[in-house]
Amino acid sequence: MDNNAGTKSSLGWAVNISVVVLVLLWLIPTVGLLVSSFRDRDQISASGWWQAPFSVDLTFRGRASTSGMEQQNGLYVIEGNIFADAEVADRFPDGEGTVIAFGTRGAAPSQYTAGETVELRRGGTLTVNTDGSFRAENAEEFSGQGPRIYILAETPPDLTLNNYATVLTGKNELERKNAIEQGQTFRQLLFADEGLFINFVNTFTVTIPATIIPILIAAFAAYALAWMEFPGRGLLIAAVVGLLVVPLQLALVPLLNLHNQVGIGQSFVGIWLAHTGFGLPLAIYLLRNYMVGLPRDIIESAKVDGATDFQVFMKIVLPLSFPALASFAIFQFLWTWNDLLVAKVFLPSSAETKVMTVKIADDLLGSRGGDWDILATAAFVSIAVPLIVFFTMQRYLVRGLLAGSVK
Amino acid sequence: MKHLLCSGAVICAFGLSASQAVADLPFDIGYGDFNWDSYTAFADQYDLSGQIVTVTGPWTGADNDLVTQVLSYFEEATGATVNYSGSESFENDIVISARANSAPNVAVFPQPGLASDLAGQGLVAPLDDATADWLTENYAAGDSWVDLATFANESGEDQLFGFFYKVDLKSLVWYSPEQFDEAGYDIPQTMEELKELTDLIVEDGATPWCIGLDSGAAKGWPATDWVEDMMLRTQPPEVYDQWVSNEIPFDDPRVVAAIEEFGYFARNDDYVDGDASSIVTIDFRDSAGGLFTLPPKCYMHRQASFIPTFFPDGTEMGVDVDFFYFPSYAEQDLGNPVLGAGTMWSITNDSEGARALIEYLKTPIAHETWMALSGFLTPHKGVNTELYSNDTNRALGDVLLNATTFRFDGSDLMPGEIGSGAFWKAMIDYSSGSDAATVAGEVQQRWNSIQ
Amino acid sequence: MSPLLQGVLTILIGVGGCVGYFYASNLFLDKVLYPASGPNIGRNINRANRIRPWLFLMPAVLALGLYLVYPVVGSFYRSLFNRAGDEFIWFGNYTSMFGDAEFREAFVNNLLWVLVVPAMSTFLGLLVAQLTDRLSWGNIAKSLIFMPMAISFVGASLIWKMVYSNNPDIGLINAIIVFFGGEPVDIMLIPFWNNFFLMVILIWIQTGFAMVILSGALRGIPEETIEAAIIDGAGPVQIFFKIKVPQIVGTIMVVWTTITILVLKVFDIVYTMTSGNFGTQILPSYMMSYMFRDDGRATAVAFVIMLVVLPVMIWNIVQARKEMR
Repeated sequence: MDNNAGTKSSLGWAVNISVVVLVLLWLIPTVGLLVSSFRDRDQISASGWWQAPFSVDLTFRGRASTSGMEQQNGLYVIEGNIFADAEVADRFPDGEGTVIAFGTRGAAPSQYTAGETVELRRGGTLTVNTDGSFRAENAEEFSGQGPRIYILAETPPDLTLNNYATVLTGKNELERKNAIEQGQTFRQLLFADEGLFINFVNTFTVTIPATIIPILIAAFAAYALAWMEFPGRGLLIAAVVGLLVVPLQLALVPLLNLHNQVGIGQSFVGIWLAHTGFGLPLAIYLLRNYMVGLPRDIIESAKVDGATDFQVFMKIVLPLSFPALASFAIFQFLWTWNDLLVAKVFLPSSAETKVMTVKIADDLLGSRGGDWDILATAAFVSIAVPLIVFFTMQRYLVRGLLAGSVK
Repeated sequence: MKHLLCSGAVICAFGLSASQAVADLPFDIGYGDFNWDSYTAFADQYDLSGQIVTVTGPWTGADNDLVTQVLSYFEEATGATVNYSGSESFENDIVISARANSAPNVAVFPQPGLASDLAGQGLVAPLDDATADWLTENYAAGDSWVDLATFANESGEDQLFGFFYKVDLKSLVWYSPEQFDEAGYDIPQTMEELKELTDLIVEDGATPWCIGLDSGAAKGWPATDWVEDMMLRTQPPEVYDQWVSNEIPFDDPRVVAAIEEFGYFARNDDYVDGDASSIVTIDFRDSAGGLFTLPPKCYMHRQASFIPTFFPDGTEMGVDVDFFYFPSYAEQDLGNPVLGAGTMWSITNDSEGARALIEYLKTPIAHETWMALSGFLTPHKGVNTELYSNDTNRALGDVLLNATTFRFDGSDLMPGEIGSGAFWKAMIDYSSGSDAATVAGEVQQRWNSIQ
Repeated sequence: MSPLLQGVLTILIGVGGCVGYFYASNLFLDKVLYPASGPNIGRNINRANRIRPWLFLMPAVLALGLYLVYPVVGSFYRSLFNRAGDEFIWFGNYTSMFGDAEFREAFVNNLLWVLVVPAMSTFLGLLVAQLTDRLSWGNIAKSLIFMPMAISFVGASLIWKMVYSNNPDIGLINAIIVFFGGEPVDIMLIPFWNNFFLMVILIWIQTGFAMVILSGALRGIPEETIEAAIIDGAGPVQIFFKIKVPQIVGTIMVVWTTITILVLKVFDIVYTMTSGNFGTQILPSYMMSYMFRDDGRATAVAFVIMLVVLPVMIWNIVQARKEMR
């Protein structure tokens, strides 16, 4: 018996470890996106997201500005601290940092170690110290704006909620600043036309009926196909399976035409109907397969007791099918939530009726293909609600599954 | 509730936005060097109070804001409400909505080829002859703009179907003046010099070019611009026209040579940032950023006049970045050809408001307001060029004026399946190692299949 | 009216209308048309029972007919016409399509997808469902593996574009390669294998789906059968394969079918990652490149896709027949 217990616990370990490995594999890509959504564009391209919590060595450029030029002992001298330079300062808010190396040309920004004194390209010498203080000397006056200084500096991690503010209000940092200066609050920006809030509400307006209506219709149909005798049943089941694979794109133009003709046009009613039609085959298929597995004797004894099919369905089948209904509800919800194509075709394209996916695709991703920061954030904002729904529904799901274990 | 009770939600949506306050006008009417007379004259002529004009176009994000601001002057002048909506998948959306009879009043086509397809199916309303005459007279190289927007209608007759408003220049090379200065490079005046400079940069141990061909579902288009530019620099414009209209086959040796000219730059590991084969997976929006890294990933980037939108935040035009004309061969004696593109405004759902909007585009003020904002070039001869928002844009305007030959982006003129399909794919194949003649042959095959 | 209130109202009307139909129509059938009382009670119940299936089915049949059958029939008719839609060319679109090298490539790739993605997703889903079944933190693990289901295809493509990026400062895979001293590679350009890297994305998404359904089925297995097996001295692996899997084979096939069908519809991943370049074309994205340009060809592709699913369809019909007996 000892031996048996030993294998059991080592097996337990193996199970735990393999689940940990699987979960990590599944999680890592998303974590990458999550971390990136808190970083700005420059950081994303400068270092991998896995380095986000650490200081990284980044190059910056500043200038020994001629506005600070003085004459000392017949030499023209510019002194200052590079971390106070406007072009560098926004990543070093307290004006302090550590210079590792510096350079005088953009092509070689880290040519010299900090503390060295080097020749400048247009004459004179330059010294940059580890603390960022620099001194440029020349026998002649420095021309123009003054010589460029390139530095390689240890840069502290900088995680920001800026991207989220941009995505939620539809305005970038500068636009937000201007709007707030004009007296608007962040709240107002969020609820304004360009903000995401209205799209958020629209998405709910689309998804909730588009989830519940097909489930209701499909549940009745699935019951009929599973437990009622009538001619043509086999044919209908076959048709449902066949319709599962119809590509949506085929249906777009004829259906929008139809909607226009009957006067629905592009509207919420139209998109509910469309989602219902497109989601039904899978709903019927999954629910019928579940209902067929319900115990025959319960249903038949109820019928013998004189219950009509409607009563059997409402009182017995529906409660027993709860886990299947709940899991399909989640899938249909996720599908309609993430849908872009149907929403674009069946809803009018004005700002008041856009759903979130359309808003994100058109207003945010549009001109920002290279902006990983905004893209990552937008993706996360759109994931958030499905995740919350899943985590709250999941308890029901598991409980429902246990309750439904009647096979 | 509104949505549910109204029979067509489109109408409801209009009802909602009509109640909103008129968008802010970026420039006060009557102030500055704008041609406000043209505005007042237009405002006196039209009263469209309560009317709705729907416009869809390819501009999203920042460009969406710009076009909305510009159109707000039309709203102010006429009392109409303009609903502009931009879409990332404009090309698909407009076809779906036009076929399903729910097209917007005015569609802004980035590619005349697509408009031509729809016009041939009777889904676009023609513009009147007066507009054609107006364009000929008031646009620089007016005839060519009329020709570009003239297609066969349903019954095969040629009619004017669009009005070009907002032009982009393509034959541009972007660079950092500071980096050029530090490295001691001069702006090349000829293609020969450009090739020498390319080699010189390699000798200095750096990388001359950033090229990125990835663009989501439109992968490959940046390379078509290269090939078109090379075509204009190696062949007379007439050959270019024949190529675009497929009078000479796509795999003609002259076209293949132009593709290989692009390959001279793009298929050399030393010339481009990263591996030559990796340019197909670099996003064109990211590739421009290579100019601004320290050390620079590259010194030059050939791209159209719209690219500054994708430069890092805070990039100052003329200081951090500037452009030079993508030069022509001194030995070829083909002058200074310029490649450009533009957006064409067409009426897809006729109404009084739509007609008025096209009329409004003829006024100088319609052009000047956008010029003064940013990212807008115009061939309108009657505008005050002092109003361009910066020197770079004014210089871009000069390139347009100094061109000895102006040609429209060929891929935009080819049928949609070629110009925004087979040609793109061919460029991806070529850039990832296929033979130029082979990929050109495949494009020609597809072209044969649609004729 | 605030948008929130407006939304709630529209939701109530939409859902209420639907519930109302079923309730009212059944009430009408039972109380007014054929009341289960009075002199003809037996005949009335019989009649009502003959009509009721159609009452239950009507909304579904109507919606399916209108939203799927009607477009499918119309599209099939369209696929027999040429590009412009004005000339009837029988199966011309189909024959010319099979002559197109890109189509054949898409077809072969699609077969690979149909074989690999459902198999891997179902297998991994089953594995996770079983492993987490008795784990104390099983629900957390399941939620995390389910998470990709909540991400849109566009979002997922974005995530994997980052993972696959050839820039070792963005792409994790290349960062690892570089860390071990290798040269960064363009994962999307590796011939043939790039197809599998694209499939990984869909497997990553769909494993959660398989897991949720299968874990429900696993829990539905009566405890007695398992206890009996333990008493007989069966090990956990044996129990899994010999007792558990045979009992849920029906559910496994349902999951398999559902994912197969999804594979045949999803174009977004290939469309945004490679646009079908580099030898990764599949039928749905091939269809998209013709959609709205050459409708004849596009609809013909759609019917080839429907043909591919035929074996799955037949299996399901046979299965349904068996259950009926």
